[in-house]
Amino acid sequence: MSVSTPAAPTFGHDVLRRLREIVGAEGLLSQREELLVYECDGYTIEKQVPDVVVFPTTTEQIVQIVKLCNELQLPFIPRGAGTSLAGGSLPVGGGVMIALTRMKQILEVNLRDRFAIVEPGLVNVHLTQRLKGTGYHYAPDPSSQGACTIGGNVATNSGGPHTLKYGVTVNHILGVEAVMPDGSVVTFGGPAEDTPGFDMTGLFVGNEGTFGICTKAWVRLTRDPAAYRTMLGIFETVEDATRTISNIIGAGIVPAALEMMDSGIIEAVEAAFHFGFPLDAGAVVLIEVDGLEVAVDQEAQTIMEICHSSGAREVRQANTPKERLLLWKCRKQAFGAIGRLSPSYCTQDGVVPRTKLPEILRLIIESGKRHNLRIVNVFHAGDGNIHPIILFDERDADQVQRVLHASDEILDACIELGGSVTGEHGIGVEKISFMSKLFTAADLATFLKVRLAFNPTGLCSPKKMLPTAGACGTEQPIVRTGVRAAM
Amino acid sequence: MSLPTLAAFAEEFTPATQAELARFMADNAASRQRVLYPVGGRTALHFGCPAVEPGVAISTAKLTNVIDYPARDMTVTVESGIRIDALNELLRQERQRLPIDIPQAHRATLGGIIACNAGGARRFGLGTLRDYIIGITAIDATGTPFKAGGRVVKNVAGYDLCKLLNGSLGTLGMITQVTLKLRPIPETTRWLWASFGSFQEIETTLEKLLLSATRPIAMEVLDPSAASEIAAEARTSLPTDGPLLGLAFEGGAHEVAWELDTVQGELKLRNPRQVVITPDAEADGLWNSLTEFELTAEEPLTFKANLLPSRTMEFLELATREQISVQAHAGNGIVIGHLPDRVTNAQTAAGLLTPLRRFVRQYHGNLTIVNSPETWKQDIPTWGEPEPSWPLMQRLKDQLDPQDLLNRGRFIFPAPIPMDRG
Repeated sequence: MSVSTPAAPTFGHDVLRRLREIVGAEGLLSQREELLVYECDGYTIEKQVPDVVVFPTTTEQIVQIVKLCNELQLPFIPRGAGTSLAGGSLPVGGGVMIALTRMKQILEVNLRDRFAIVEPGLVNVHLTQRLKGTGYHYAPDPSSQGACTIGGNVATNSGGPHTLKYGVTVNHILGVEAVMPDGSVVTFGGPAEDTPGFDMTGLFVGNEGTFGICTKAWVRLTRDPAAYRTMLGIFETVEDATRTISNIIGAGIVPAALEMMDSGIIEAVEAAFHFGFPLDAGAVVLIEVDGLEVAVDQEAQTIMEICHSSGAREVRQANTPKERLLLWKCRKQAFGAIGRLSPSYCTQDGVVPRTKLPEILRLIIESGKRHNLRIVNVFHAGDGNIHPIILFDERDADQVQRVLHASDEILDACIELGGSVTGEHGIGVEKISFMSKLFTAADLATFLKVRLAFNPTGLCSPKKMLPTAGACGTEQPIVRTGVRAAM
Repeated sequence: MSLPTLAAFAEEFTPATQAELARFMADNAASRQRVLYPVGGRTALHFGCPAVEPGVAISTAKLTNVIDYPARDMTVTVESGIRIDALNELLRQERQRLPIDIPQAHRATLGGIIACNAGGARRFGLGTLRDYIIGITAIDATGTPFKAGGRVVKNVAGYDLCKLLNGSLGTLGMITQVTLKLRPIPETTRWLWASFGSFQEIETTLEKLLLSATRPIAMEVLDPSAASEIAAEARTSLPTDGPLLGLAFEGGAHEVAWELDTVQGELKLRNPRQVVITPDAEADGLWNSLTEFELTAEEPLTFKANLLPSRTMEFLELATREQISVQAHAGNGIVIGHLPDRVTNAQTAAGLLTPLRRFVRQYHGNLTIVNSPETWKQDIPTWGEPEPSWPLMQRLKDQLDPQDLLNRGRFIFPAPIPMDRG
């Protein structure tokens, strides 16, 4: 695809020299071909090459970079692993991209007080690996956990399959150290709970990089479950599957995870992993309960009964830990398997009340038909968090256009059904135009005031999340910057 | 409990609707700019710095509508003036609950407990209010309603103002409507208590319990004086022959019975003096008394300390040496302490609290005042020692309430300068 955005303004040698003085020559990229890697994240529809990427290794270096940006009035944006599916790390405002991937230390693991202190560039799964055998784990497990960073998780308040029972990132963050947009360093919260004052940690999580740069996080460690029962419900139709999910929740059961895959995804995943999914099924639902050995069998039994009475063709149970892991691998790497179906895909992230799942799935199917697009579904059904994946070829401008229409249609339907346009991916640049559909002008004005308290100049992550200009508060036309680039 | 005696509460406004409240607040901001003191069930008027200026108490007493309760989605949307008892009763009909321990539930309102970030023993296993508020509507000081979050359990659109407003003591907006995520009511709840020779023995036990085969949802530690007060209140009996560790379990009857059995085996290795399982019929009463402990005391001053869980037993040792009666949510490093009756003036109280505050500051914590005579609050920092993020909180306050009309002077922000105001 050709990138039609104007060439990045050449950064003055003086700026590059000063940045190099801070991070060293090995900590800076400024050549056009090197920068192309950073032109987008997991949301590939919009692209924008940053002017320069720096790789600080310490908080102090970030302080100096941010102070330099303030002095020269340059915008700056943090970036983790670039796995955002909403353009969260797209440098739409240009300027300096601060990549945090070299700050990846686990600074402390304190099991007695159930926390760890990590740097922002730490890959999520590396913390889990480090904790293996301790009896504790870090609960948020986004499907991209093999690549995504904890700093990025903090910025977007990431979820994952097990959030149904364990909550999302914010429920597991005790404190944050951040470099503020003016270059000062502030700590919110910490290893002790209930710091007097506002819950700044809670507010900071999910700021999408617009409040500053997380340089350290105190994360809560959670006790490992003693036992799991992992089941696979097989259904003739998507409707049967969603009705079952609704019945399980409606019965007051909160499993550890409740994930649905439709036939399109089953086909791709089966081709990739040969798990033995039935290719003629309309949908499968991965259900996991965890807890004490004495309790999980009873809970699993109840769930199986609900599955059967709601029309399941068959319910299988993972018999060994190896089988369970394979099942989860299939689920978590489902996105990767989609490459087999299509050259490009756009993952949507909507939420509806859980009882509205049958309705929204019906609307998704209709929307796919209307726009002549193939849409497959793999999602966090227990939370009502849908992920329709729209398959397309990004070289075909007409298809791209139809993808955008279908996406908008689906998200509008989520709003109509009482839901939201993002459950875990964030607003980024992709969904800015939906903010005014979800929120009133007064709501958005309040958000802006909150941002101004952190980020008064608007230099930090400009043009993100809110459909207004950062600094002066004047309304800007809602433009989806890179969409044009994709066409 | 002492109520503020100030003229601030001489005048009161009780809107019938959220819209009426918004109009009132807009008029106020545009004309007289009186200080507004949001009130719910009036169970926490003693909390925070005393109001020093006259103003208007704005009450949520009539904002009690249940907006939507789609029980099968396990969420509920209600107005903020609903009493916690009434909310609990509504949810109980669907075998659901908000699993937060709230004192004075027959008086406290949802908006009030959110403003104060109330909570108790269950926080160890079930989290705090911040984990359950998924949508919020408030009216800012200019009378403009704003909302954040929504009605679905997972949602990252916009900034999480639910978290910001939780615990903000009404200083950023008057909370008018809330959507909560709910949990099913478990089949059984049971308490097991073990007394030990010292707090140090309890610390060793807590360390071992980190890898217990069981999963307690509460870990409480009481000194004998707190234990006898709580037991008397609950008409149950608790061992008082030493510091006391209480573990609560919830779940299916079969599961909880297994946990009680297993944990007794684990505790035996730690040589407790006595182990008692609270009879089923007395369990509810005991929960209530544990929850009410921070408010019901007749003692002169009640504080709340937070610190690393691993240092909590040392802290209790230090506090009980001064006959302070203590309750700790030990898994979370939260301590509620009542000063003894012999403390009759602010100077003595401050003298007792200084070493305690110094101790918690070493371990990432702070010490705030839950309740004390108003006049003492000039000598004792109500909100503890300043935290590094307070200047930023001030900037948030300035953005959202630039005229400082909401609960002026009652929170962490510097005391107002009376001239030209009110």
